[in-house]
Amino acid sequence: MRIGVDVGGTHTDAVLLDGEAIMAACKELTSADVISGVKAALKTLDEKAGGLPDLDAVMIGTSQFTNAVVERRELAKVAAIRIGLPSGRGLPPGVGWPQDIHAALGGHSFALPGGFLYDGRPLAAEDTEAMRKCVADIVAAGLSDVAISSAFSPANAEPEERLAAMIREAIPEARITLSHQVGRLGLLERENAAMLNAALKPFAARVVEAFEGALQEFGIIAPLFISQNDGTLMNAGFVRDYPALTFSSGPTNSLRGAARLTGLEEAIVVDIGGTTSDIGVLRGGFPRESNRAVDVGGVRTNFRMPDIVAVGLGGGSVVSEDGKTIGPQSVGHNLVTQALVFGGDTLTATDIVVAAGMADVGDASKVADIPREVIDNALAAMRAMLEENIRQMKPDKQPLPVVLVGGGAIIAPRDLSQASEVFIPENSGVANAIGAAIALVGGEAEIFADYREEAREAALERAKRQARGVAVRAGGEAFSLRVTEVEETPIPYMDDGLTRIRVKVVGDLAKLAKETQ
Amino acid sequence: MTQITADRLDDIAAGAAFLATGGGGDPHLACLCAKEGLKTYGPATLIEPEDLADDAFIIAVGGVGAPTTSLELLPSVDEAARVVEAYGEIVGRRPDAIVSFEIGGANSLIPMVAAAALDIPLVNGDGMGRALPEATMMTYAIAGIAPTPAVGLDYAGNTQRFDAADVQAYEPMIREFAMTRGGMAVSAEFGMSGAELRACIVPKTVSLSAKLGRYLRTGEGNAAEREGDLRALFEGSIYGKLELLSSGLVVDYTSKVVGGYDVGQAVIESASPGSPPLNVAVKNEYLGITQGDTLIACLPDLITIVDYETGWPINAERLRFGQRVGIFRIGSPAHYTSPEGLASLSGLIASVKAA
Repeated sequence: MRIGVDVGGTHTDAVLLDGEAIMAACKELTSADVISGVKAALKTLDEKAGGLPDLDAVMIGTSQFTNAVVERRELAKVAAIRIGLPSGRGLPPGVGWPQDIHAALGGHSFALPGGFLYDGRPLAAEDTEAMRKCVADIVAAGLSDVAISSAFSPANAEPEERLAAMIREAIPEARITLSHQVGRLGLLERENAAMLNAALKPFAARVVEAFEGALQEFGIIAPLFISQNDGTLMNAGFVRDYPALTFSSGPTNSLRGAARLTGLEEAIVVDIGGTTSDIGVLRGGFPRESNRAVDVGGVRTNFRMPDIVAVGLGGGSVVSEDGKTIGPQSVGHNLVTQALVFGGDTLTATDIVVAAGMADVGDASKVADIPREVIDNALAAMRAMLEENIRQMKPDKQPLPVVLVGGGAIIAPRDLSQASEVFIPENSGVANAIGAAIALVGGEAEIFADYREEAREAALERAKRQARGVAVRAGGEAFSLRVTEVEETPIPYMDDGLTRIRVKVVGDLAKLAKETQ
Repeated sequence: MTQITADRLDDIAAGAAFLATGGGGDPHLACLCAKEGLKTYGPATLIEPEDLADDAFIIAVGGVGAPTTSLELLPSVDEAARVVEAYGEIVGRRPDAIVSFEIGGANSLIPMVAAAALDIPLVNGDGMGRALPEATMMTYAIAGIAPTPAVGLDYAGNTQRFDAADVQAYEPMIREFAMTRGGMAVSAEFGMSGAELRACIVPKTVSLSAKLGRYLRTGEGNAAEREGDLRALFEGSIYGKLELLSSGLVVDYTSKVVGGYDVGQAVIESASPGSPPLNVAVKNEYLGITQGDTLIACLPDLITIVDYETGWPINAERLRFGQRVGIFRIGSPAHYTSPEGLASLSGLIASVKAA
């Protein structure tokens, strides 16, 4: 058995799963310190299940790292060093970032000569003197969180590693993120990803420690996994090093959970929370990925992210007096005190659906005197917000099933014009916790192949074999592994192609494979 | 005469990406670089071709090379101005105005930084009306203007002067310069008079890019839903027409650098059931599309592949397995439907037909 937990901005959800079967589920408010909300959820699960059984694993999906970037808090000051001069003059690390987050990281940008060209030749000679001075400047500034990028490091990471070694010598406690470990080709986006990751590392250490402490309190000794943005899992040690890989894991989990709850592989999923509705698309049971470079808190990165549109409509969205405007302000997790049906004095989307008789939450008598016109206006506005955005996310004009999940699902109409059918599955309120609990193990491999010497098919097979090996070592069940991504990037060697092949496989956790069959 | 400020660059870059027909490099990088440039140097002045005196001296400025390499070899803010200055020193003549090689992609923005830094006006128009892989295909070359003397500048600031008998001789020289210096370089070439430029420029493409980009960034809907608005926009321009040719899923994309170009082939599974897959020939840009044995689109028409859901253009180097895309065909400016224009593209057209 295993537990899945999803820490969202408003609610912390948890489920206890035995194979496919949901043994217990609960929804608690997310606390300001996050961890007491997680403990409250574990306590409720414990009570509902009549004591927690022996567990194989605990999976936690958390939006804390995304939120930290978006809200510019818990971010460490970072020394960002790019090895690539004399290219990129006038475009230092952090260029193009919103001013506030650039300032939150301290704006410590350094540029050094070095790196490689596409043809494998050095871009410039490394300057040991300049490297020493850079390290001394970092020491003088008192920085210990470091991001290093260099030109063409996905093909040759030696410059990043050499500088990291120098920094470790001078600052033994340094936490260093090397760009080739977090991103792919595209120097600026990879560098941005490395900088965000570096800024989150101290916070990640605190978060993992708190999670592990909470599990200990409940006597849980099962391994802890955290969800990544692609719907696969990483162990606790990995999260400390790569917190940025959790970005967007929340929407990924709710999409995967919706697929599990309905058995649908092609559908639109609308995850309605307290403040926003996240709309995504299931394709073959997995989230459709965004085609564009993805902004996280206004910073352009090249993480693979699910294609999600967030609409400012949730259960706590504030409704204007005439009902014509909904949100984007929300009472958030104060819904249970501030909404009219809970005795508060703020008209919210939840009050509207209760007044309309579409849902039974709180005290309906408290919304009995809302004028019919206001109710109708608000229902029309809410419908328009959802239908318009669903229409834009749909792959084509064909109606698709729409799955409503999340705690705020009650506010959505059941007859959306864009939908072939609308589903609100049982336990839809905890879809993202289910998504976390059913998350898979992934394995990635990157190889270089010369198609003049090795047939493309043979090279692809070699990469797949290697990725399968990684996934098995990470705890994946060999027979369940399947290839989900193949990416070929030419790393040209003058006229003839050296190609970088990146393959990703996913499969079930071996320990749980029997359970899920 | 208009001032181009840093806050207009996102629009111009988006429009230029649409006109780049898959090539032209990553517009984001060029845009970032141009923004930093215009913030540092102040706005660039845009003038119309008819504002130029007949004997004014104009040079074309831009980047040359394999766009994939610029994902890692970053541009520098000062390089466009430095190549114009180097041209002035080496050739001995400072230009009265600057014009773009090609509106498609990064080359729409690079000359703007030089214009802003050196306070030399930029002409509203370009030498391709899109992106194309070779200097021989610029309308300036088609009109018989000599490309040299020309000056190339690499990422490290090294310069080289070129003198060639004609554009066919010049093209491999500048290409080799770029390829041996990291894959991307900037150059200043095609010194010409105001009268000569007016006769061959593809006019008003900078302002069209701004308008097109504004629509792409603020309009809503998928490729099919945007077709009507886009058609109206192109019908009122030198391109004349636009249509959504097809849509589907990218099921394969392979490319490699051959002779300094990104050469590849994309296979798109058509959204219409039962219809055979579309094969897109790529040489830096989308050149042509065959379906079975039938050539359904080809140069000199422009082929633009977009993200189906948003209508946003996708560069060839960003094509990926599993993307849902729409394919637009846009009419060619008359510059390339003339016998001389078609002749300049004959090699490319033949390569599409042979594939």
